[in-house]
Amino acid sequence: MIIKNMLYFIREALNSLMRNRLLSFATISTVSISILILGIAVLMTMNAGSFMNRLESDVEIIAFLEKNLSSSQIRDAGEEIEKMDGVKQLAFVSKKEALHRLQENFGGKEYNLGTTIGENPLPNSYEIKAADPHNVADIAKKVEKVHGVYKVNYGQGVVEKLFNITKWIRVISVIFIVLVSLGAVLLIATTIRLAIFARRKEIKLMQLIGATDWFIRWPFFIEGILLGSLGALVAIVLLLLGYDSLISKTDSIYFFSLLSDPIILSKIYISLFLTGSVLGVLGTYISLNRFLDV
Amino acid sequence: MLVQFYNVSKIYPNGVKALDDISLRIERGEFIFLMGSSGAGKSTLVKMFFREEIPTRGQIFIASRSIVRMKRSEVPKLRRNIGIVFQDFKLLENKTVSENISFAMEVVGANIRDIKIRVPEVIEMVGLKGKEKCFPGELSGGEQQRVGVARALANRPLMLIADEPTGNLDIRISTEIMELLYDINRKGTTVIMATHAQELVRAAHKRIIMLENGRIISDSLAGEFFL
Repeated sequence: MIIKNMLYFIREALNSLMRNRLLSFATISTVSISILILGIAVLMTMNAGSFMNRLESDVEIIAFLEKNLSSSQIRDAGEEIEKMDGVKQLAFVSKKEALHRLQENFGGKEYNLGTTIGENPLPNSYEIKAADPHNVADIAKKVEKVHGVYKVNYGQGVVEKLFNITKWIRVISVIFIVLVSLGAVLLIATTIRLAIFARRKEIKLMQLIGATDWFIRWPFFIEGILLGSLGALVAIVLLLLGYDSLISKTDSIYFFSLLSDPIILSKIYISLFLTGSVLGVLGTYISLNRFLDV
Repeated sequence: MLVQFYNVSKIYPNGVKALDDISLRIERGEFIFLMGSSGAGKSTLVKMFFREEIPTRGQIFIASRSIVRMKRSEVPKLRRNIGIVFQDFKLLENKTVSENISFAMEVVGANIRDIKIRVPEVIEMVGLKGKEKCFPGELSGGEQQRVGVARALANRPLMLIADEPTGNLDIRISTEIMELLYDINRKGTTVIMATHAQELVRAAHKRIIMLENGRIISDSLAGEFFL
């Protein structure tokens, strides 16, 4: 029944869209603005998220070792740390390596730190990465107690602040997205309500003739889905163009590399499209329930 | 027996008692006039047949099925067996004669082949051949009502309900519409027509049900009643 009549439903939906051309256009524009804002919010959250993840994964614990440990004592300390829960990666940095890094970072070619400061004053150390950045503080406390470790560094406090910031960015984005979606749904509901009013004589007649409730509802649902998904489509095209040019413009700023994985991006765009359709269904549902006595 | 009303009363939420203890029996193939002045309950009674109104008390059976206890989802099925002709025609202005009739078949899910055969058939039956492509605005009142009748017949109903079908037409055109309804009745469809046009009823020699203040005050053949 539904498949057989689909053609009729689609025809009715398109007729209705065309009959209220101006209103349809206004609704599609508004939906696309909503989806556009939604898309921008999603892209911002995703980028902030991936930026934070990168920062978070850079958080590591450095355990400085006492000066006069034998190589077997150093090995023992390393093994003890490696066995701890939540330790993902352990790397030994010898005092020679440490000096080398210092030279690279600060000395350059003009100053030879090795000759300037004489004997290498730097300690041996272990660099530890946690599997879950949230555990950094706990692991650091345990590492501090390992025999041979005299100091632990992990950017105390910075980690906690980072998590706080990411959490707030997520919360604010969610609130924003919910509000914007609500606006889009209400607009679609208004359009469908007007479509129902425009056809109410016809609807009454259909009921008296013996059309089923769903037969009457379908064209409106299709109209709502069309409004939602057309709006989403426009927004996606704008987002694609805008984001692409943003990527190419920020390409050179290295700490600000934007998300550009085509698989993730296409997933975002597909989700936005589906969101548009779902908004359409929701909007239609609201109006059908309130204004269509079927 | 096609329709049976048992002690049907209707009281609207505003307290108006539109129907008061109506009992009624209609056989297949009958032609019945429902008469009475405005406010007598004709419209409410007519609406009971296709469950546009539900009795406050009493029972209605159509083809042995209670339409009072009927589920909402079963109402369309009932209505597909009842053709309705309206006083104000209720044609869709933006559809042609053909489209108005095929619309009635489309919305009940008839298949396209049946629609293509049936629409010209009923157009010919009501004498509108040649006007298929006209819009309602291009037709006279009588012609518009013929479209209304054709639409009501399209789904081959058991019963045709006509609520003041000639109310907006002059006497000559009304007579033509009546001839059409008699013709439909002769072919086997039960016809129930609400009207207050006495001159049409007097000439007909059909069963007449007179309503007054929501009650049936007489139910008889025209000859007996107007003697």
